[in-house]
This record gives sequence, C-alpha cells and structure tokens, in this order.
Amino acid sequence: MTDIVITGMGIVSALGRGVEATAERLLKSQPGVGRMRFLQSRHADLPVGEVPYSDEQLRDMLGITPDFAITRTSLLGRLALVEAAEMAHLVDTDHLRVAFVSGTTVGGMEKSERFYHDFLENESKNEYIALHDCGACTDMIANGFAGHISMQTTISTACSSAANALILGADLLRTGRADVVIAGGTECLSKFHLNGFNTLMILDSQPCKPFDKHRQGLNLGEGAAYVVMESAESAARRKVSALCRFSGYANRCDAFHQTASSPEGEGAYLAMTAALKDAGLQPSDIDYVNAHGTGTPNNDESEGHAMMRVFGDRMPMVSSTKAFTGHPTSAAGGLETVISILALTRNFVPANLNFTEKIDSLNFVPVTEVKTNVQLTHVLSNSFGFGGNDSSCIFSKIS
Amino acid sequence: MSIYIQSASQISMQEPLSEQWMKSPILPTVAFNSPLEPDFKRFILPAESRRMGRLLKRAVAVSLDALQKGGCEMPDAIISGTGLGCVENTEKFLNAVIDNDEECLPPTPFMQSTHNTVSSQIALKLQCHGYNSTYSHRGTSFDSALLDAVMQLQVGRISTALVGGYDEMTPAYFKMLGKLGYWRSDAESDVDSLKKSGINGSVSGGSAVSLLLANSFTENTLCHIDGAEIYSVASLQEMCDFYFEFVQKYLSQNNHVDAVMCGLSGDQENDAVYRRFVQQCCQEADVLWYKHLFGESFCASAYGIYTAACVLKDQKIPPHLFYQSPREVNVVKNILVVNHFQKSDFSLTLLSR
Repeated sequence: MTDIVITGMGIVSALGRGVEATAERLLKSQPGVGRMRFLQSRHADLPVGEVPYSDEQLRDMLGITPDFAITRTSLLGRLALVEAAEMAHLVDTDHLRVAFVSGTTVGGMEKSERFYHDFLENESKNEYIALHDCGACTDMIANGFAGHISMQTTISTACSSAANALILGADLLRTGRADVVIAGGTECLSKFHLNGFNTLMILDSQPCKPFDKHRQGLNLGEGAAYVVMESAESAARRKVSALCRFSGYANRCDAFHQTASSPEGEGAYLAMTAALKDAGLQPSDIDYVNAHGTGTPNNDESEGHAMMRVFGDRMPMVSSTKAFTGHPTSAAGGLETVISILALTRNFVPANLNFTEKIDSLNFVPVTEVKTNVQLTHVLSNSFGFGGNDSSCIFSKIS
Repeated sequence: MSIYIQSASQISMQEPLSEQWMKSPILPTVAFNSPLEPDFKRFILPAESRRMGRLLKRAVAVSLDALQKGGCEMPDAIISGTGLGCVENTEKFLNAVIDNDEECLPPTPFMQSTHNTVSSQIALKLQCHGYNSTYSHRGTSFDSALLDAVMQLQVGRISTALVGGYDEMTPAYFKMLGKLGYWRSDAESDVDSLKKSGINGSVSGGSAVSLLLANSFTENTLCHIDGAEIYSVASLQEMCDFYFEFVQKYLSQNNHVDAVMCGLSGDQENDAVYRRFVQQCCQEADVLWYKHLFGESFCASAYGIYTAACVLKDQKIPPHLFYQSPREVNVVKNILVVNHFQKSDFSLTLLSR
C-alpha cells in the first residue's frame, strides 16, 4: 500500500456552502458564528454556528420534495457528499468498491425532539421514527450519492467522530477492502445538544475565544464535510488529481473523565505523537496545527499543554477555526480536515479569531491574523471528544 | 490472518455471565424481554454504580468478565457497537428538555447519553489509553466494531482488542419501533411461533456482549476468525456474489462451510432473506439460529458471533440451535455467521476451530 491521497472534498457550515465559499470566508477572516435563525430554542441569545439555510432551502438545493421525510443532519450530509464526489469525479463507480464512513452523534434528534410526543401518541410522524438513529442518517446521505456504495458504516465518538471516520477509511484502503472511501461527518443543531452543553456550563454567551486567557466556552455549530480518499495508484488510474496526502493518523483515549480533559492532555499528547509516528515525521516537520480549540477553559488548556509536550519550544503555527464555524461536534473533524487541506494547498493559515491575551500556563499564542503566502508541507488536525476520544490526523503536500 | 476470539461474556435474557444457555436455555414467552442481571458488585463499586445507567453497568460487567476469562489486564483497543446508544439517559434528558421547556436540566443524563459513553467508561475503568471507538450503524453496529478490530490486528497495529455490542430497549423505544412493525404480539412470541412463516416482527432483547480478540491463542481460546467483511447490498444476487467472493478469499480449498449462523428472528421478511441466501449459497450447511434465545436488537449480531464461538469451542451444536433438522454428520469445523439489516447492510464472518 502506498500513499493515501485526498481527491475530493465537500463542506457546508456556518461559513456557507462549498469549498470556495469556505476558503473565501477564511481568507477574509469573516466568521459564521452569529444569531440563531432556524433552531427554535429558548436560548436564542446564545451565539451559534448555524448553517445559513433553512431546511426548505437545503431541500431546494438538493431537489428534495417537501413531503419526503429527511432530517437536517442528512440534508447537510448530502450537500457535502455531492460536492466531494463531484470534485473527485466519482461518477462511474461500476468497477470500484466505494465505502462510505460517516460520523454523527445526535443523528435525527432535531426532528425527534419536535415530534417526540407524536411518536408516542399518534401516527402522524411515524416516518421520522426510523430516521432517528445515527445509522439512518448515514443511509439517507448515501441514498443521495449517484454512484454505488459497497460498504457503509457510522462512527459515533462525539466530537472526534469525523476524524475517526477518516481513520477507519484509511484502514479500509490499507487492507484492500475498498478502492475509494468517502469519509467525514455531519451534525445539525438541536435543542437536545444545545441544552446538553448548556447544562455543562461550557457555552459562551459571546463569540468564542479559543486559546484566550478569558475564554468562556464554546459556541455550538452545525455542518457536514466529507473527503474522498484513495490510494495514489487509484487516483492515477482514475485520472483525478490529488489534493494532498493523508499521511498519518492516530486515535487514543484520555481515560480521565466522561466529559472533561485531563490537565496534562494525556490523550491528546498520545494521539499527536502516535500520528506523527504513523506518518514517519518529527514534531518539527509540522508547519501548522489546526487545533481542536473549542474555547472552553478546560479543552484549550489541556490541548495547549499536550502541544507543549509534543512540540516543546518549537511550536508550529497554531489556530483554532471554531470562532468561524462554531463547534459542529461530530462534523468538526470533517470541517477541519477541509480547512487544513485548504490551508495546505492554498498556502495560508486561517486566523484564530477573538484572541487577545495568552493563557498564563501556555508558552505560545495562536495565529491571530490570517497569514497568506506561507509554505506549508505538513498540517496536523486535532479532534477531541467527550469520553476522551482523541484523534489526530496529518495531511501533507504532494511531494 | 491469525486472529482469535480469546474469551467472551454476555448478559441477556439467558443466565448472565454464563454459557448455561447451551444446556438449559431460557425461551421467550413475551415480546419485550429484559436482560437477567448479575450481581454487579463483583465489577462495580456501589458508589460508582449509582452514577451508571443500566446499559453501562452491563457493558462494564461483560467487559471485565471477558478480560478476566481471557487473562488480559489491558487491551490495546476498546471498540463498541451500539445501534441506539444509551437510550435510557437520552430519553431522560430529552423528556426534561421538552417537559421543562429547556430550563433546570440535569447534566448527568446528557453526559451519559452519547453513544461513546460505553467505550470511554470502560477505558476510564481500565485506565486504557489505547485506540477507542464506537460504531452506531443499525444492524451492523457490532459488525463494524468487529471489522475495525480485525483490520487493526491484521495490519499489526494492535495485538488485543475488547470488542462489544451494547443496546438497551426502553418501553418508549419499544413502543416506537413497534409502530414500525418490529415486534410481534406476546401470544406469538414463543419459539414455535417464531419459526412459523407469515408473521411480522420478532421479540426484543437487549445486547451486552463482549469479546476479547487477540493475535495469539491459548488453550482457552474459543475460535479463530478466518475472515470478516461488511457489504452494502441491494439484492439477493449481490449477497450471493459477495458470498462467493468471501469464501474464495477466506475458505481454504476443498473445504466447505459446516454451519451457517443466521439472524433468523421470526420476522417473515427478515427470515425470507436468510432462507433464500442459504438455499442459493450454502445448502449443504446446517442452519443455526440464536435470536430465539437472545432476542432482536440492533447489536443482536454480537450474539451470533458469541454463540458460534461457544459452539466451536465446545465442538457440539446444542440441539436447540438447529433451525432445521441437522445433517447426518454433526462435525463442526467452521461456522459462517451471516447477518443482514433490512436487506441493505450485510455481513459475513467466518469462524473456525
């Protein structure tokens, strides 16, 4: 097995629809976090990274009629999948084994929480019962793919789900079980999730300030992103150009607490060092870290310490893009994979917005203004989840 | 590929943490079946226990039991499948969000509602920093977890993995799935009725199965895993095509499949797929079933692997596992575990002595 390369990507987030819109917003440092427009919640004053389209608009974009039962999570997923497949020219799949691996956590909850009484008391919303679970969301997304999928599954490791989807996808390629893998994640805003994070008191009432001394918490987000992965040979055979290599990855567990990270960032440290080893790289080879950086007091300090343990006093450029997109939980690893690849291929580092003052115990400050014309060779992306599910992925320029 | 099932443990409607079901099975009489619970004190301190949901307790118990039986203190990976996650806590939090109109909500049910709660709590309990993942893909949730472990053992990244299938059924979820035709009436929930064709629905059970996989064997090893694959299929023909590809890859020449362990559940549409598959692909094999002992759930396929592993270790097929009358020669060198979910997700796992 030679190199695994990425040949397509698709994204929808608070920054809008598509790779180009995303790149433009990142380059102009225009965040997508703002007022809640579509989610109906008592906590409408909390800023969120909401995708700027209603369900109806998303249906229109996809040509889905209003009477067809589908969840927002699946609508977002379909948009991202279609874009990724188009970019990778994944149309004729007749002689290809295409696997689809999607990460999600709340699945169809945004509909279930609206129709829950109907589910139990009448027959009016029965078609949504079957769409509630995570696997159903994946099925509904896969059904929107024009080609043939020969294997599909769903990962649910909270906020690292999409990163773990890429990791499984790479193993499917490495063991010859698939020729092409579409991997990533999808999640939509729900009252369930918003209130869940709110009870943990980790939501900022203002736009989030990752790695800032005075950070107050995260802004919940939503979105979907998928990448198309295959071996370099497969890409050559299919005559599609590779965007970058997926050069290393690792999944480790913090094993510290159900929802909090250890102060020294053990899981994060282990994930980053194991990913470097998998890629055959030294810490000094990494040019940019797209941090998990949610903006919660706990995550940023823990991740910061883990990075200091990995990189010592030679800290690469670091930024968290959560202030652009909010924290789209299961989709985060997908969104940030696309952002990392954009940075790598278009030679820029997106800004870590809303930063003013360094965290006392950390030895670094993030990149606060977008940097263009920087040569990046290796980019590391972190995705950490509840339960200490920590994963790191490394993307490298085609040499 | 040298991959073995070293040990296994289960909690279900059968005697918990035991293989008593091989000799004296408990048969269902109603559609909603609650698992028989062991004394959790052996595994969980009372103070811990109070903070844990029922599914989590079962998962921790079978995981620790499997590790103990397999003589392993620290697995390299913890991988779980769960179709619905921690439903009890999810419902608790969901009801609170709706009923309290998003105010004064308790954080604990939310913290323990995420699907990865089980894998991460097992890691926390063991202080295991290794690979940790959770799959939630309907009827192939467990199969996905197994495949992940098999691949990592195959590439040599790990040498042991704790692989589990965990699902719980609550009255509310039972009612909701009932509307979709998942369950039959209590009057038709006995084993004879389950075998009768022409009835929709099956009987429900929970899942709590843990397997220890390893790349080396001991005298206690249950069986060898010859191959494991998952496919998305659109027709019986595709299932058969994948089957022939699978046996060509994993079954040694001049060998044949002795028995097929099928997810026959009593639901006529579900069962028709297995019947036709066996007829077209492995007519010579004995047809075994297990869902009449463990019930239907999204992770029920875990019991298929578990049951097959126990049979291979024991070298005898208990009479109550035969779906049809057995062949003359009752030798079992290998068992193919076949699982499908609504004719779309399909998995094959070949186990041998």
